[in-house]
Amino acid sequence: MPKLPLEGIRVLDSTYVFALPYAGGHLSDLGAEVIKIEGPGRPDVTRTGGYAGAFPENTWGEDWWNRPSTFNLINRGKRSLTLDLTDQRGRDLFRQLVAVSDVVMENFTPRVMRGWGLDYPNLKKIRPDIILVSNTGYGHGGGPYSSYPAQATTQEATHGHCWVTGYPGEAPSKAGASFVDFLSTWTAIFAIGAALRHRLRTGEGQWVDIGMYQTGVMFLSEYLMDASVNGRDGGRMGNRHPSRAPQGCYPAQGQDQWITLSVGDDQQWQALCGLIGREELAHDPRFSDVLSRLRHHDALDELLRPWTAKHDKYDLMHRLQGAGIPAGPVLTGRDVHFDPHYRSRGFLERVTYPTQRQMGARIFMGRPYKLSETPLQIRAPAPAFGQDNGPLLKELLGLEEDAYQKLAHDGIIATAPTSGEPSPTTPPERSVQTGALGEWDPHYRERLDL
Amino acid sequence: MPEGALSGIKVLDLSEDIAGSFCARLLADYGAEVLKLEPPPGAALRRLGPFFHDDPHLEKSLPFLVLNLNKKGATLNLATATGQSLFRELAQRVDVIVESYTPGYLASLGLGYPQLQELNPALVMTSITPFGQEGPYSQYQGEEIVSYAMGMIMSISGVQGREPLKHGGFQAQYQGGLFGAGATTMALFQQQTTGLGQQVDVSVTECVASTMMATQTMYPFMGGTAVRRKPAGSMFGHPMSCADGWIIVQTGGGAEWEDIAGLFQSQELLEPRFADRAQRAQNGEALDRVVIDAIKGRSKWELFPQAAKSRILFGVVQTPLELTRCPQLESREFYREVEHPVVGKVRVPAVLCNLSATPYQLLSPSPTLGQHNIEILVQGLGYSQQDLCRLRQLNVI
Repeated sequence: MPKLPLEGIRVLDSTYVFALPYAGGHLSDLGAEVIKIEGPGRPDVTRTGGYAGAFPENTWGEDWWNRPSTFNLINRGKRSLTLDLTDQRGRDLFRQLVAVSDVVMENFTPRVMRGWGLDYPNLKKIRPDIILVSNTGYGHGGGPYSSYPAQATTQEATHGHCWVTGYPGEAPSKAGASFVDFLSTWTAIFAIGAALRHRLRTGEGQWVDIGMYQTGVMFLSEYLMDASVNGRDGGRMGNRHPSRAPQGCYPAQGQDQWITLSVGDDQQWQALCGLIGREELAHDPRFSDVLSRLRHHDALDELLRPWTAKHDKYDLMHRLQGAGIPAGPVLTGRDVHFDPHYRSRGFLERVTYPTQRQMGARIFMGRPYKLSETPLQIRAPAPAFGQDNGPLLKELLGLEEDAYQKLAHDGIIATAPTSGEPSPTTPPERSVQTGALGEWDPHYRERLDL
Repeated sequence: MPEGALSGIKVLDLSEDIAGSFCARLLADYGAEVLKLEPPPGAALRRLGPFFHDDPHLEKSLPFLVLNLNKKGATLNLATATGQSLFRELAQRVDVIVESYTPGYLASLGLGYPQLQELNPALVMTSITPFGQEGPYSQYQGEEIVSYAMGMIMSISGVQGREPLKHGGFQAQYQGGLFGAGATTMALFQQQTTGLGQQVDVSVTECVASTMMATQTMYPFMGGTAVRRKPAGSMFGHPMSCADGWIIVQTGGGAEWEDIAGLFQSQELLEPRFADRAQRAQNGEALDRVVIDAIKGRSKWELFPQAAKSRILFGVVQTPLELTRCPQLESREFYREVEHPVVGKVRVPAVLCNLSATPYQLLSPSPTLGQHNIEILVQGLGYSQQDLCRLRQLNVI
């Protein structure tokens, strides 16, 4: 078996929340040694509070900070080092690690790394070919928003996503998830691959400066072009398409079940008329050509709804696709675990924890791509807080036992966070009642063989 | 001229859609030499609007113009044996192929990855398709809305009781392009270190799915299924209407609840019924009313810098026109100007991120159809000008 693409590459991952931590998880899948660094008093927010996701069996457990689902998904395969970077001794150790690393990732607000003397010009003095990746809300530099506080869920308004998202004629709407974070995740992976290649060829490192805002704006490129050359200001069209009709999301059989479909040409429209048993509609002048269909889209939706509502969403997909019409069911977070296509591609991976972690086995998303010659997988569970302090400081950096004990004593390193609280849990039945959860399946472990 | 991070890498871009075109553009943006190979009638993307001055001309599709910057362009009819043989010659001279045809189509022409790998063992071939190369749905037809639905995100977008909501534009396609470019640079790094080539099989639907962290993991952790937000009493944290548009405000970050009450100049927000997260959730409908009332006369542009001063997480809903005039993007030199032979000078969204040693460079506009046929076939592969004429007659170029 050939070696993995990033085997032998060491990444210092001093990042928090979603964007770069998830990039670190993906780099680990690719074979890199990724060292997640957290302050003893500054555990990642995916361990604490509202970003943590769910706990196994909805219970905190003793080491609650190691157990939340989001933390465990995005930090898979990493080693964990705690290091108080607000202390000079912590920063010194960080510098020693930089000297033996290839890539450093950080997402502090722009002034922080500079204040610590850990910005790119300083890191470069320690290791000339270092690749530093910085991710901030609006990007470094002298721009008016560079120092503004930011997070994906407010940025999606500012980067234009909300303006074009929403039910037609109604208010702008939100993504429902931390959308722009993942654009930074992949911008970082792309840039690191390019920068590593450049370093291989020239020996030169560099600083990658990512502004999440900018990556979000990039995803609206055709709207920006339309604005700048045609003076048009976008808007919301719900689930419809500017030139395909009908296109939409229609109710399927069952509670909160939905099917999407999109008709691109007259042939697909004629096939759809046949499927719903209304061949005569293919010749109805209201619908016979695409311009008429776009004009009478509301009437089309009315015709389709009663038919879709009678059938199972998967059955609808297979019948529509069988007739050559793009279609697919709205899959929930539960559905994907049983979907034959997701299963056959192995997108969801089973990760088994060491017994002392008391997490059993869990299912996590792998990657949205496959490599034909070097199949990838999640290589290890996300680490417990500070689990690799000893090996990293003593073996890699050669610290003496006394010095190591002193660091622990002084709280420069730790194996339990000194601040933060677990996010509150709610009985799932109650979450379903209040609408915080769509449904709850008490038999999930049997069904997933966990 | 400074070198790009990918200088010296040669890429063939066969894609006719947004995802593949965006992927290959990102490679071109950071130095790769990318040749877009289109079928003689032009890539499908040339027919996608909006168009420059609403003129539906093959050279005026705005998505095509923006997604093929920094590339050269030639035409080649892969459905002909002659086209296939020219393609094999080109494929031996490149490091990467980007394509987005239905899985199996290129193989049916004798141009599948295994066949090309025999000619060029180090070749990286990035295939970006709706459902990936293999699996029961791989032959199914994709569309933006279908990847959105099957990638889980629609199940949590929109409000309960109404239909799930796709996001605007072609976000899934762009994700396929960016995530695909990320996987490609990794395969390229491996190619450069070990000489190994491989196929990178990107599923656009899985790209969307891979962002659903809390939604996916909730089920194997505690059996729950995430859902769309409630229709009432949950406005806070969502776009709320003010005098000149919409704003979003959130708790957390460096600010306290009192800071938010101060920003909105509302004593009511300091009442005990809004004191903590649980109280605010319970009195959500009242909270919505109070906030909407407090901001209805305020301007988003006045609130935005004020919120930042108090370290409040705050967003203004910007429109595309506002984004074209954004001072932050200006300071980052996000937009660049390019002279296109047909539409003239245009300002384009350009820079994804800053690489200090190998900065983004805008070197050329999107190619016109067949613009570099002579350069590629005559100067590159050594065919004669007469051969070119024959190929034209045979509808190969």
